Amino acid sequence: MSARVLVVDDEPQILRAVRTSLRGAGYDVDTAETAEGALAALASNPPDAVVLDLVLPDGSGTEVTRELRTWSSAPVIVLSVVGDEAEKVAALDAGADDYVTKPFSVEELLARLRAALRRADAPAEPVVEVGDLRIDLEKRAVSVGGEPVQLTPHEFALLRVLARNPGKLLTHTALLREVWGRGYGDESHYLHVYVSQLRRKLEADPARPRYILTEPGAGYRLATRS
Amino acid sequence: MGVLASAGAVVLVSAVVALLKPHVPALSLGALYVLAVVPVAILWGTALAAVVSVASMLAFNWFFLPPYHSFHLRESQNWLALAIYLVIAFTVSALAARARTRREDAEQRRAEAHALAEVALDLLRGRSVQDELGRIAALTAAVFRVDAPRLALGEQPPREGERALPVEAGLRCVATLFVDAEATIDEAVQRRFLPSLAALLAVGVERGRLEAEALEAEALRQSDALKTALLRAVSHDLRSPLTAILASADALASPGLSLGDDDRLGLAETIRGEATRLDHVVGQLLDLSRLEAGVVEPHRELWHVDELVGRALAGVGAEAARVQVEIGPSTPPVEVDAGQVERVLANLIDNALSYSPSPSGVLVRAEHGSTELRLHVIDSGPGLPPEERDALFQPFSRGRAAGHGSGLGLAIARGFAEANGGRLWAQDDPGGGHLVLSLPLAPTPAPVRA
Repeated sequence: MSARVLVVDDEPQILRAVRTSLRGAGYDVDTAETAEGALAALASNPPDAVVLDLVLPDGSGTEVTRELRTWSSAPVIVLSVVGDEAEKVAALDAGADDYVTKPFSVEELLARLRAALRRADAPAEPVVEVGDLRIDLEKRAVSVGGEPVQLTPHEFALLRVLARNPGKLLTHTALLREVWGRGYGDESHYLHVYVSQLRRKLEADPARPRYILTEPGAGYRLATRS
Repeated sequence: MGVLASAGAVVLVSAVVALLKPHVPALSLGALYVLAVVPVAILWGTALAAVVSVASMLAFNWFFLPPYHSFHLRESQNWLALAIYLVIAFTVSALAARARTRREDAEQRRAEAHALAEVALDLLRGRSVQDELGRIAALTAAVFRVDAPRLALGEQPPREGERALPVEAGLRCVATLFVDAEATIDEAVQRRFLPSLAALLAVGVERGRLEAEALEAEALRQSDALKTALLRAVSHDLRSPLTAILASADALASPGLSLGDDDRLGLAETIRGEATRLDHVVGQLLDLSRLEAGVVEPHRELWHVDELVGRALAGVGAEAARVQVEIGPSTPPVEVDAGQVERVLANLIDNALSYSPSPSGVLVRAEHGSTELRLHVIDSGPGLPPEERDALFQPFSRGRAAGHGSGLGLAIARGFAEANGGRLWAQDDPGGGHLVLSLPLAPTPAPVRA
């Protein structure tokens, strides 16, 4: 049985293009044009994944995500626009899994959707491998190309959060909460510096990272393949 | 103080008279008391001097004119001598006191002239009246001999415990001076000084207004020029991709055309490529209008530049393979808005790539001092002549190989660099085009722990 995807956007042209492409890729597609319509469709016919525009005529995609997360863990991919980074991060913090920025290519959306659906099914792995990078979560051991890498406790904690969710976009807030707990303070200022230090230990060329990828204005994710 | 000193002066002169009396006729020594009267008149005025005159006359009579220790006089001509003495003492003290008032008056006027000259100088140096109010108030403090006066532009009500003195030029109240309600203000000074001050302030205020108008007019003129350039660019940079998209879509949708799969794919690729180009131009126009409108507020965080360069390279696409990055592992972090600096770097790298014929490349190199970090972006093109360097950063300029891009990239890059406390300039380099982005280092060193 093919996966069912709910697509929510108030622009009929975009809705039609996305629906056509997703159907062509083998998904069952439902559509809605408003926040209210989306919530009704989610309740009456629960989808396996949601593609959700952030700006809807009667509310925001962030509100829909927050509502959905009270009873469902189906992956949500939000459609954002340049210049609305704050709303995008709010939606991700509310529980959205990923985003694409308009104008987006259909291939990119399909790739994100496939990855999100795969993550939703995949069991947690004790050993995560990306290219030459190998992270053994149980033994707390990290190596690159067979060479062990020494990490500080905070660096390992950061890498562990990323490795537990391979391919998933983790917002700055999510990373800080997982690594430093709810009481993080000054660390938020230094998060990017910690990531850079980690990258310098793992990446061959830190300016062209292959393992820890930056999502501008949103957060970080661990690559799923090199 | 005055009374004590006066008494002392009388006693002192009496002692001198007592010393000289055996050698000189007593009556002639009476004139010495003028020496007590004059200093008192100079220092404390005529009233006290009159008292000293009478007191010294009595003391002279009591101690030195027979019969001694009595105010009676044995010889009648002594009465005349004392009367003459009194007239002389009064006259001298009046003259001395007048000299004193004149001196005080001269000092007061000098203080006023000094204050006015200082205000005039400040305003001549181009400082705005509003910024100088505190200093001008301090200058008036010296003129009125009051503590901590306050000066406000226009007619203003006094606060509690204050007295308002209007600073008027003609009928117009230019400013209001506030002094302590208890302070004594010399009305003559007020009548003389405040109108002159008002005239100066009025000139300063007026000039400030004219300057603001001139600036506004210049800004309008520039924004008009910008709008004209914008319209020209919009018609070219937006219409040509739109034309290509429309033509390709028409071809795809036309039932009369027999197209092979390759043709269809080619047309679809054209539509995709041109739409991407359109998106890029629209993004740049948005960036530029945000910078022009001054609504760019950097969200500053600590970042390592290799991360920012990495993000910029990811946005450049396949061409990024031609970029060589040299950033040392000890390069300290900068405190900037990552999204905005990424845009600066992407524009710089994009610009450098367009002037570096394939397969030659672009070099991005970091170096740092104690307060700033410099990123050099060096292309392998022909370099650019000095006279073109500044024009490079004007919107819609197309330096060197004209016809490339909309000419917005470097203007946007400079705008975002400056919004983040940085600078962007073209450096003299015989080897090729060489742009330098300077960013301020984070004020506190990043923690080494992690």
